[in-house]
Amino acid sequence: MAEEFSVIGKRLPRVDAIEKVKGEAKFTSDIQLPGMLHAKFLRSPHAHARIVSIDTTRVEALPGVKAVLTPKTVPKVHPLGEVPGIDKLEYLLDETVHYAGEEVAAVAAVTKEIAEEALKLIEVEYEVLPAVFDKEEAIKPGAPLVHPELGGNLCQCPRSVDGMLPLEWGNVEKGFAEADYIIEGTYESPLQHPVSPEPRSVVCQWIGDKLTCWASTQVPQKIRLDLAHCLDIPLSSVRVISTYSVGGYGAKDSEKTATLTALLARKTGRPVRAVFTRAEDLIATHRRIDSKIHGRLGVKKHGTITAIHLKMITNFGRDSKYLFMIPCAGAVGTCSALYRYNNSRWEGYHVYTNIEDHGAMNGFGDPEAGFCVERLIDEAAEKIGMDPVGFRLKNCMRYGDKAMDFFPVMFGPKIEWGVAGPDIDSLPECIRKVAAKAQWKKKWKGWRTPVEVRGTRRRGIGIAIGMHHCIAETETPDAATVKMNHDGSVDVLSSVPEIGQGLKTAMAQIAAEVLGLRYEDVNVILADTSVTPWGPGVFASRGIGAGANSVYLAAKDAKRQLFEMAAQRLGVKPDELEAKEQKIYVKKHPGKAIPIAELCFAGSQVTGNGMIPRNWIDERSGKVIAPVSVAATIAEVEVDTETGELEVLKITSAHDCGRVINPMLIENQIDLSITMGNGWVRSEDFIIDKSTGVMLNSNLLDYKVMTILDMPKGEDIQEIPVEIPAPWGPFGAKGMAETAVTTQAPAIANAIYNAIGVRIRGDHLTPERIFEALGK
Amino acid sequence: MYEPMLITLTVNREEHEVKVWPTDTLADVLREKLGLTGTKIMCNEGECGSCTILIDGKPTLSCLTLAIECEGKDILTIEGLADPETGELHPIQKAFVERSGMQCGICTPGMLLTAKALLDKTRSPTEDEVRDALAGNLCRCGNYKRITECVLAAARMMQEGT
Repeated sequence: MAEEFSVIGKRLPRVDAIEKVKGEAKFTSDIQLPGMLHAKFLRSPHAHARIVSIDTTRVEALPGVKAVLTPKTVPKVHPLGEVPGIDKLEYLLDETVHYAGEEVAAVAAVTKEIAEEALKLIEVEYEVLPAVFDKEEAIKPGAPLVHPELGGNLCQCPRSVDGMLPLEWGNVEKGFAEADYIIEGTYESPLQHPVSPEPRSVVCQWIGDKLTCWASTQVPQKIRLDLAHCLDIPLSSVRVISTYSVGGYGAKDSEKTATLTALLARKTGRPVRAVFTRAEDLIATHRRIDSKIHGRLGVKKHGTITAIHLKMITNFGRDSKYLFMIPCAGAVGTCSALYRYNNSRWEGYHVYTNIEDHGAMNGFGDPEAGFCVERLIDEAAEKIGMDPVGFRLKNCMRYGDKAMDFFPVMFGPKIEWGVAGPDIDSLPECIRKVAAKAQWKKKWKGWRTPVEVRGTRRRGIGIAIGMHHCIAETETPDAATVKMNHDGSVDVLSSVPEIGQGLKTAMAQIAAEVLGLRYEDVNVILADTSVTPWGPGVFASRGIGAGANSVYLAAKDAKRQLFEMAAQRLGVKPDELEAKEQKIYVKKHPGKAIPIAELCFAGSQVTGNGMIPRNWIDERSGKVIAPVSVAATIAEVEVDTETGELEVLKITSAHDCGRVINPMLIENQIDLSITMGNGWVRSEDFIIDKSTGVMLNSNLLDYKVMTILDMPKGEDIQEIPVEIPAPWGPFGAKGMAETAVTTQAPAIANAIYNAIGVRIRGDHLTPERIFEALGK
Repeated sequence: MYEPMLITLTVNREEHEVKVWPTDTLADVLREKLGLTGTKIMCNEGECGSCTILIDGKPTLSCLTLAIECEGKDILTIEGLADPETGELHPIQKAFVERSGMQCGICTPGMLLTAKALLDKTRSPTEDEVRDALAGNLCRCGNYKRITECVLAAARMMQEGT
């Protein structure tokens, strides 16, 4: 079926490209308001301490200081967590600090230099308490308690048993008994910090009893909920605006900086801006979970997987605003629905420690699970002597297989079984396409045979596949509004922000396509909570499936109204009409048409509304399905066995996009995942002083994100969009921002194994680790 | 104690008289006092390249440069990169727009100005030369492949005079 599109699928420039290249785009940290003050936060030097006293006398005497907040002068409330209905453990400002970097006090002053000076004058007496940083130390008997009121360091959720969350399906014992081989190993994945390019930024201004908050965030409506909750004011008194939010990668979810800044602004009667330093952003926001997974996989000689058993322990840090959601996402995704495991058991242990909170980051549980599972799968394929591409093709999950739904697993009374939706059938296509493009057949010489050996340099190739859900949180589904203007142009309103992923552009293309307008006729207004309709924000790759989908439905609603008006005027039925070239045409009589502008004027205000459904029901089974996107990556590496030096030569990533709305933006997003996935295991490290819990590399020289020189050159990175339209997506499109990140680390690890013949099961793939693995 | 000083800065071909403290960085003065917020701050400690501007044509980290050092020098920020007469985008800007050389946009001004300095010096750079020139500019959105392509495309545009 060849469909003709006039706007989608085209390489159109981003709608915000010109303002970004001219320096006109005003990000939150660029905002200046008359009389604006600057906020700074005093942070605890101790990982665990009780605040005995805080003396602010000297600060208040410093000229230029306008307000000081301490735990005693702020409302004693818990900010909202990310799980609806469950608050965070932390207070706005707490009298006990739980990690080195936690806010102790806040200051607003006329300049940021004075505010910084003021912090030094706050006198705090701490009673230092015992602290624990390592996840395995923290669950030993007698370990210091991070939250004594919880009685233990294991995070509990409604379905957990003694701090362990079990997810079981089938009969694992029976599955292992049927296996010809059992492959077993302990795999680790490291911490990673999102390093959002614009550090945490917020500006708050009160006019009367109404608050306006500009925030660099992925979740403006959640920030609004949290502000209203903490300040005990109605939602109608809070307006959160996030016109240009920056590269979240998960970093910019709800957090308390907005509330503290709003309190400073209310106390001083002046606008206040808070911009974190890079060090603060690294020390005191949140980071990816790390994990240690003990895995067992049963496999038959001919290649059928009979059982999997994974026991996972993760370091949650100080708080758990997501409760169990992140490891669970990996459990119901990669650990249960990437392959036909047949019998499966997953056990999750989630440990509070005195380090920075964990939180969302690209892939949200699936990269951590995938880095383990995809190494384990590779070991299984080797054990039975099967080509790793063939082994994956044989065993990958297919449409209609039994799968779990995400939310009931954590919160429901019992695990509800659903089925893998049609999305998962893109897996074989991704695997075949990536293998063809990367010339797998030509390059793969068999197990323990490198692609090429030149002296001490050995070249290897490896594959990994991955999945990630691509719409979360639909209990309160997203809505959008499409407002037609009298000249036939249109304003699109949605609360899902643009964070660099290109959503604003995709929405403009989708609205224009539906309404038969030009790309330039669409004006997209995002994330202004007093103007734009409800939508929880952008995370979980939900921008397309939730945000753009609601715009698609709203545009269809507007088009329906235009068709009704046009039908009356043209004396035909609405279904005889089509919208194109800014006109409504009678399909069979192209001479009969009315300009859309004329109808918009006649209608005075034509407004379309759209809301996505709460659930996506599979047509075939009638069951609820969790939309997912999938990816496959092949990496080619070269290792110097003399030094352990690793060069990633080529990355080929095939990615299920449903339908490409804009090829350039898809390539951008795949490149992001590739780079982020490489950095995670090749160069980035979150180094904590083992005795104090203080982060030792809180700057970008020592926290090494990938530079241009670390990444393969131009054509050595290949992005392959795979288009199998999703029945639930706008024009079949689906979110794909995060999935490719799940496949990078294991593909590189598997390629290293092919090169050197030694498995690295640890968390980093640095030259040091390779050197160690080589027994040097 | 330090005193504020009145200095004249030439930014984007225009002279600005501005009162600064001796400790003020050029990045802060551009952003906070001259309203030129196109210069972006990702680290504010000379590690990321996002605040790169051109001083006498040379890429310079404005967060590590004191404003008082810059009197009498020719400062170019992102706001001055397009043609001052016609407003037409510089070829590097055009290439970034046409080929999506940016995602979130924070590293973009620094990338563009670093690339301009390269192309002013090397009319037809190789891919390696582009990568070397941009080695100090971090892009957390991982857009390096497109950025390199954009700079090479801009070089071609500039040679063809389009």
